[in-house]
Amino acid sequence: MNSPNHPNLSYQPALPISNGKLALWLFLSTEIMFFTGLIGTYLVLRFGAPEGTWPSPEEVHVAEWIGAVNTFVLLCSSVTIVMAFENAKQNMPSRAKKWLWATIACGCLFLGIKGYEYASKYNHGIYPRFPRSLMYDRADLTFLDGVKLETSKLIKEALSSPNSAAVAELDGADREDGKGEDELQAGHSKITLVVLEQSHSQMTTAEQLQLVQSGLVKWTETKVGRTDDPTMQKLAIEGLAYQIYPRAFPEQQAQRIKKFFADENIETQQRLQTLSEQVQQRQKQLQVSQTELSTLQADADAIEDAGQKKTVLANLAKIKNSTDELTLDITRLTVERDFVAGRLKAMKTFPVGDGGGVNEKHHLKLPMVIPSGNTWANTYFLLTGLHGIHVLIGLIIFACLLPMRLDAVRSGLVENVGLYWHFVDVVWIFLFPLIYLF
Amino acid sequence: MHDSDQKSNSAAPAASDHTAKDRKPFFAIVFVMLLGLTAMSFWVANSHLMDNPKMGWAAMMAISTAKAMLVILFFMHLWWEKSWKYVLTVPVTIIGVVLVLLLIPDVGNRFATYSKTRRTAAPEPYLESLSAEPFTELSKPEPVRTEQLPTE
Repeated sequence: MNSPNHPNLSYQPALPISNGKLALWLFLSTEIMFFTGLIGTYLVLRFGAPEGTWPSPEEVHVAEWIGAVNTFVLLCSSVTIVMAFENAKQNMPSRAKKWLWATIACGCLFLGIKGYEYASKYNHGIYPRFPRSLMYDRADLTFLDGVKLETSKLIKEALSSPNSAAVAELDGADREDGKGEDELQAGHSKITLVVLEQSHSQMTTAEQLQLVQSGLVKWTETKVGRTDDPTMQKLAIEGLAYQIYPRAFPEQQAQRIKKFFADENIETQQRLQTLSEQVQQRQKQLQVSQTELSTLQADADAIEDAGQKKTVLANLAKIKNSTDELTLDITRLTVERDFVAGRLKAMKTFPVGDGGGVNEKHHLKLPMVIPSGNTWANTYFLLTGLHGIHVLIGLIIFACLLPMRLDAVRSGLVENVGLYWHFVDVVWIFLFPLIYLF
Repeated sequence: MHDSDQKSNSAAPAASDHTAKDRKPFFAIVFVMLLGLTAMSFWVANSHLMDNPKMGWAAMMAISTAKAMLVILFFMHLWWEKSWKYVLTVPVTIIGVVLVLLLIPDVGNRFATYSKTRRTAAPEPYLESLSAEPFTELSKPEPVRTEQLPTE
């Protein structure tokens, strides 16, 4: 190295690589630790969740093939960036640039697919939310309360939104214009009656929600309140959860709930019949006593004698009293009858276990029971989100390289960026099976 | 990063011995292997190996590790680097593996020391739900009779 006359004092780096590359490898070591920590935490939460509660990919709308496509896209981008580096090293800048463009395209495609996935999670209500997400760990009273509150909130929103009429039009494409408006007007004031008469396709979102509120939520609440048997209470609430979001239920439990609902339905129909008969009977009685009342009234008016009048008036008061009682009774029975009829209508509108339940068939976004669903969503968005941010940063750096001439002089730069990009790919290689296939 | 710096370093041993060779066909082979391994893990996830999930998970993790090794060794060309590569990769690997191993007892202990309080608040699988203890503090809502339903 040294010439005899002039000792060539060249700087010798500690490692035989460029400072940039050394810095990048140091950065990558910290990144490895960062993702090891994240993935380690995920493993603790995933395998530390009570057995049988971690949601399977289908339960939370994770499509394996989308993950596989994204893996393919990222692998392709790894190859393209390595090709960009090789071409830059061999001093072929225009080819290197082409490969860099291909890498950017792959990165954008990856983020696009990720965005599509996120959107589908959001549409199904699978995301953390303040103050409480739509996912509940178990079907209990807290869940029931959550459904009640959320439904009330949604009803308020649906009624106040300016395009609720437009939504109504969309929902019932075949409804006639004038009639539709009337029904909408009526629907706001006297919802249940309208709902009872409408077929499903003609219902607005608000009407559907009101039917859910009375026919499903209030019904379940009443059922839980009227029995002391904890198993029945539990089954009633799980039934509601199943009706809203059946995906998270294992087959065995689904069968049990379907049977429970079938039995209940027969019972409800009988009850409706009995109640209708009772109401009719009371109404007849009421008519009789009302005519009696009017004749007595006429008699009382006609009678002059004070003593006689007093007895008639006493009699009159007695009958009036019983008439009032009868009216009250009829009101009570009618309310009960309509409540039962509303339940039957709700069960017909939202058939159990059909088309993915209330949430997926009717897009109502009600609270759902997905055991460990919240922890799942947190870890999913944290892991894929942080990985996505890394992809985004990589793309920004690639964009910075675009105006440069990627010749042999710049190959070191391309190499360093490539190292970072490969690391992002390695992280995804582990995330793919952990999130999509486990 | 200065150009002169780059130049002097690209003349350094790292690039010198292989610059002449064209690695492009080799990368194509690695790429095909990676695709094959991805397909394999996809197959494992949908095969009978998942009847015993632990087997399936282990297989998928092994495949992932193989894929990661391919990427790190060839795409990140650690394979051709001089021995400096061990300075950074070995400690990081050790710390990473140790971290995961240290977390394993936590996973195991979660079940061994599951307190009753925690059990009550924990997510519950549906299969167990009927045999499990029912919720205890049950506040009974009044039977809904005064519902705002039409009186006709």
